[in-house]
Amino acid sequence: MTDRSDALTEAVQNARTAGQRVLIMGSGSKRFLTRADTDPGDRILSTEEHTGIEDYRKDELVVTVRSGTPLRTLRQVLGREGQMLAFEPPEFQGLGTVGGAVAAGLPGPGRPWRGSVRDSVLGVEMINGYGERLVFGGQVMKNVAGFDVSRLQSGAFGIFGVLLRVSLKVIPVPQTERSCVLALDREAAHQWMIRMSALPVPITAACWLDGQLHVRLSGAEPAVVRAARHVGGEQSADDGFWTALRDQTLPFFRSIGVACRYVPPAAALLDTDELIDWNGARRWTQRSPDQVPAGYRRFGPGYARDRCRDAGGNRAVAEYQHRLKQAFDPDSLFNAELTDADVAA
Amino acid sequence: MQTSLPEAFTATGEGRRAEAILRSCVHCGFCNATCPTYQLLGDELDGPRGRIYLIKDMLEQERVDPVAVQHLDRCLTCRSCETTCPSGVAYGELVEIGRNYQEARQPRGLIERLQRRWLLSVVPYPRVFARWAALGRLAGPFLPRRLRKQLPARPVRRPPPEEVANPVRIVLLLDGCAQRLSTPEVNDSLVELLAALGIRTLRVPEAGCCGALALHLGAASQARTAMASVLDSLSAHLEEVDAVISTASGCGVTLKDYGRLLADERESAAQAAAFADKVMDVGELLASLDARWRRALPVERIAVHVPCTLQHGQRRGDLPAKLLEQAGYSLVPVADGHLCCGSAGSYAVLQPELAERLGENKVAALTNGEPELIVTANVGCQVHLGALTKVPVRHWIELLAPEPG
Amino acid sequence: MSEPRQQPGTGQPDLEERGAARTRKRALKRLQSLLPEHCLLTRPAALKPYETDGLTAIRERPWVVALPETEAMLAGVIQICREEGIAVVPRGAGTGLSGGARPLADGVLLGLSKLDRILEIDLSNRAARVQPGVRNLAISEAVAEHGLYYAPDPSSQIACSIGGNVAENSGGVHCLKYGLTVHNILGLTVLTFAGDRLEIGGPGNDPECLDLLALYCGSEGLLGVVTEVWVRLLPVPPERRVLLGAFPAVAGAADAVAAIIRSGLVPAGLEMMDRLAVQAAEAFVHAGYPSDAEAVLLCELDGVAEEVAADARLVERVFRDFGASAVQTAETTEEQARLWLGRKAAFPAVGRLAPDYYCMDGTIPRARLAEVLARVSVLSERYGLAVANVFHAGDGNLHPLILYDANRPGELEQAEAFGAEILDLCVAVGGTVTGEHGVGVEKLGPMCGQFSEAELNQFFRLKAAFDPRGLLNPGKAIPTLTRCAEVGGMHVHGGRLPFPNLERF
Ligand SMILES: Cc1cc2nc3c(=O)[nH]c(=O)nc-3n(C[C@H](O)[C@H](O)[C@H](O)COP(=O)(O)OP(=O)(O)OC[C@H]3O[C@@H](n4cnc5c(N)ncnc54)[C@H](O)[C@@H]3O)c2cc1C
Ligand SMILES: Cc1cc2nc3c(=O)[nH]c(=O)nc-3n(C[C@H](O)[C@H](O)[C@H](O)COP(=O)(O)OP(=O)(O)OC[C@H]3O[C@@H](n4cnc5c(N)ncnc54)[C@H](O)[C@@H]3O)c2cc1C
Ligand code: SF4
Ligand code: SF4
Repeated sequence: MTDRSDALTEAVQNARTAGQRVLIMGSGSKRFLTRADTDPGDRILSTEEHTGIEDYRKDELVVTVRSGTPLRTLRQVLGREGQMLAFEPPEFQGLGTVGGAVAAGLPGPGRPWRGSVRDSVLGVEMINGYGERLVFGGQVMKNVAGFDVSRLQSGAFGIFGVLLRVSLKVIPVPQTERSCVLALDREAAHQWMIRMSALPVPITAACWLDGQLHVRLSGAEPAVVRAARHVGGEQSADDGFWTALRDQTLPFFRSIGVACRYVPPAAALLDTDELIDWNGARRWTQRSPDQVPAGYRRFGPGYARDRCRDAGGNRAVAEYQHRLKQAFDPDSLFNAELTDADVAA
Repeated sequence: MQTSLPEAFTATGEGRRAEAILRSCVHCGFCNATCPTYQLLGDELDGPRGRIYLIKDMLEQERVDPVAVQHLDRCLTCRSCETTCPSGVAYGELVEIGRNYQEARQPRGLIERLQRRWLLSVVPYPRVFARWAALGRLAGPFLPRRLRKQLPARPVRRPPPEEVANPVRIVLLLDGCAQRLSTPEVNDSLVELLAALGIRTLRVPEAGCCGALALHLGAASQARTAMASVLDSLSAHLEEVDAVISTASGCGVTLKDYGRLLADERESAAQAAAFADKVMDVGELLASLDARWRRALPVERIAVHVPCTLQHGQRRGDLPAKLLEQAGYSLVPVADGHLCCGSAGSYAVLQPELAERLGENKVAALTNGEPELIVTANVGCQVHLGALTKVPVRHWIELLAPEPG
Repeated sequence: MSEPRQQPGTGQPDLEERGAARTRKRALKRLQSLLPEHCLLTRPAALKPYETDGLTAIRERPWVVALPETEAMLAGVIQICREEGIAVVPRGAGTGLSGGARPLADGVLLGLSKLDRILEIDLSNRAARVQPGVRNLAISEAVAEHGLYYAPDPSSQIACSIGGNVAENSGGVHCLKYGLTVHNILGLTVLTFAGDRLEIGGPGNDPECLDLLALYCGSEGLLGVVTEVWVRLLPVPPERRVLLGAFPAVAGAADAVAAIIRSGLVPAGLEMMDRLAVQAAEAFVHAGYPSDAEAVLLCELDGVAEEVAADARLVERVFRDFGASAVQTAETTEEQARLWLGRKAAFPAVGRLAPDYYCMDGTIPRARLAEVLARVSVLSERYGLAVANVFHAGDGNLHPLILYDANRPGELEQAEAFGAEILDLCVAVGGTVTGEHGVGVEKLGPMCGQFSEAELNQFFRLKAAFDPRGLLNPGKAIPTLTRCAEVGGMHVHGGRLPFPNLERF
């Protein structure tokens, strides 16, 4: 529980003076999304010691956390008060920091219903490439004072600067949660998802894998009970499947490698071995790194760079992303491997 | 809203009213959302908020700019904006003041002047109008299709029923000007309907136009003359009747407003107010009766077009649907019921393009549910819509018959 | 460190002016050949009604008004203005309450109200693609037959445009549960001032780029003109119920709000109106609001029947615990619609009580509601100006409406000084100067109190990344440092500059 803000700021300023680039690192759990391996010459700026929950106002549904705080710690603290993070960030063997979760912007299985990471971000304090400490957003739900720099940080993999603390919206843990498993083929499951999305059913996750449609229902007891009757299938109160899906510990992910694509939920099914997540909006396929089909992105080295530098192939947008990076970090101090042409991925 | 009107103007009654109305507008823009012309044109100047601003500017600058004239001309005076306005801005009254101001200060071009003078000297006078109509029918083959369809057909009159002995009520029914020629069957059938309910109807053929048309056109003095003459011809009967009825909601809304319109006339102000108090839309009369209704026509599916003058002007837009449903008709849903059909008094003649677009949209909305019949409550709408669709358009009271007993 | 760009306002003014006049003449010619006559307004009388938006205290007559009917025309206007160096101010429906669409005397006002088509309704992806001028409510109306709706419902939803909603990141009476504009749009097409057409996101959930979508939300037209929006559609909940609690004291109502949120319940909407606001709304809708209560809470619950019933019991208990003298339930759709109509029309309805109102928009932590409202009423007495309170209580987003009469000399200035004190108070208790109405030109002063020099500079660099010459909606949203220096100075002596002329950056 230490506040290392000053030390981190000083480290950035020193690096800046020395003309040295830095790699921001939480626990390094998502390193696999940025680069295959760490260069021994990298100057690593670790937030791991910058930990602690600074302000938790449970009545306001807001928590402000230092970026190096382990996700697991935050989860436990919130859980004790019957609250949780809406975006269900993945957690790997207890690893993963709050700063890293926000920077990576990877939401869990509830994404289409509970929103993405940025939807929960209310404010940040960060160090930009000038070595300045800046505060954007705040601790209230509604705030349109100035450009929304805080939400921009989510999914930016740290290219704009070091997050020192973030204020996040939290939600009450649902009163009841129930999982249903239906034996359906892929096509039928997909149609089911499309149909259900137009109905007011308290679904908070829907995923198809290996001939089974998994559905999670959450909310007030009566609503969930009724919906569960409607959905049918085999039912359980256990959320093991969802945690495994979230943290990618299902056997599906432990294979030669995976690639994903983000699509409109009703988009046609392509690949025969696709795992359907997010009610159809995210599809996974098992492929080795050199055989990623067109339209998919490899979930591994290059993933973050594809987003931060190439904007998923959208050239006009990529140009503005580049200018944005310049606006925050003109000397490309931070995570240059994700944005700069001259740094190999 | 802040105003700085010239003192000379705010010293007048009109000026004071204008100032009060302008200041009550808080410029929120809600009214634009339900204004038919703003919906079509998407220009602030063609919405109520912009028109209010144009009027404010005109009164403040004491200058009539052609821009202001053009955009006030495009206003239908449908008063949909008034229904929407949370702040209670009396737009109808303000635009009347604005138009009078313009007409008094800024002569129009020759053609416009002739057109308006023609309207004012023909439509309000049934006999003159009848002659024009006959002429029009003769010239029919040479007239544009739309105009041809709008001409009143040769009237088919029904003999009046026997006079009701021992009436439960006596009402005075105004025949209006244009209606007398275009759709005389409406009032004829109302007289029958009322007779069956034991109500005696009085008709005073010499009572002419209510003045609505002149008011629309900003012809203030002509409007006052028309109103005075109506009062004159009716004053003898006023004592004996329980209510004054019109089946044209466009006339009704003006008649109900006589008290305000003539408030400045020293001699007739009191009389006008007393008269206005007795005015009722036919729907209000029917709804006030202790009657049960049945279908008078063998049709099922009806689309109701509520005239602006009934829903926005008199705020009794609910009546036709209510009574028709009681009678057992099934009403098809109609989208955007708050929007004007484009008839709007002389609008269809003066702004044919917009009127036609509004009319077409209206017909599309009305016929979407595939009704067998369209009904409305004002002669202008009836004729206007009738020219645009194959589905017959009638006055809604023609569909009602009292349940015996 | 690169400084924000300042307008190069130096040297031979005559020459400069003549040059500018020539440029404008040429630009006008080009605009005239691009746009049909009814899409380009140039007569002073026609420009006048465009001089202001929903905040009439701030006015400026634009040089010309362009009303493109197609995206191609819109791009043409931007191109001409870029090439001629003329500033552009986008405008949606002009309902903004912070002067965001306030025109510039030497700039083009770009009205988007003619771009009002719903382009596509994608039922299987529950999304719709619409032009920027489409009214917020028109979207829900268009998809109602499919049992869907667009969730964010600003009180101005009948009139405000979706483009304006994006630019302000508008909230609504239901954003407590369903979020703000940023949470309910899926994609944007934006035209930058440089002429680039950016397509961000779409009917899928996640754009495969940085989150420019969120950045555009609330950017007040400074980063580009929104030309298309993909909105997310939600299924209409099977059951809705609205509870109305009448409280004898404002503090009780405020505490009830905090208690409901604390209970873990997330109502669809939780709104408060005080006595004056109720009086105004009732005069318009005749919904049967209690006239003797000091504060009224409206709480909407939605979901499946059993859930709604249980939640309603809880809310009713909380209302009573905190002293509600009466609790009514509106169950029929018509009753509910009337209650909401009154709430949504409350700002303009206040026009029945006074000729002008000045609407504040601070957000505060909900636990501080009672305290801040009490303070506001003390200030109200000190300034001798009445305040009607009507606001999104569940979000802690206050809208004190300061009633004044602009025709009375000095009253506007009083109202502004009063407003500034309220905003200071909001920041002091850990809130912000604007929750949903935006900074515009109106809250530039208070922004200085909320952001440091380094932060403001970061905003400028961000702006410059999209619009290096600063010609798109200049002078809005972010105060210049010079201005903050001035305001800061003023602030020490108490009181703020009332909307002084602003430098452009
Ligand atoms: C499908 C999926 C699979 C996953 N699989 C794994 C897995 O196999 N192994 C694993 O370890 N994790 C995995 N994760 C994610 C991870 O467990 C959590 O999301 C966690 O929060 C990562 O945090 P971190 O601190 O380890 O981030 P890091 O990996 O340290 O950082 C991630 C990115 O964020 C930046 N960053 C970190 N902290 C900051 C900061 N304070 N300010 C600015 N930028 C910062 C880094 O520069 C880097 O670009 C997975 C996530 C998903 C969605
Ligand atoms: C009575 C009343 C009640 C209100 N209630 C609420 C409420 O509950 N919640 C709320 O959030 N707001 C509310 N507002 C404020 C206002 O309605 C919103 O800010 C609305 O989003 C503005 O939309 P508009 O179309 O009128 O935009 P305008 O006022 O025309 O413009 C607002 C800003 O957006 C920019 N802009 C507009 N269109 C575009 C575009 N296509 N591309 C880029 N920039 C654009 C303009 O430059 C300007 O900066 C209310 C206003 C009124 C008058
Ligand atoms: S709705 Fe009423 S107050 Fe609002 S702009 Fe229109 S007339 Fe003015
Ligand atoms: S009267 Fe009708 S046409 Fe005229 S401004 Fe009002 S709503 Fe628009």
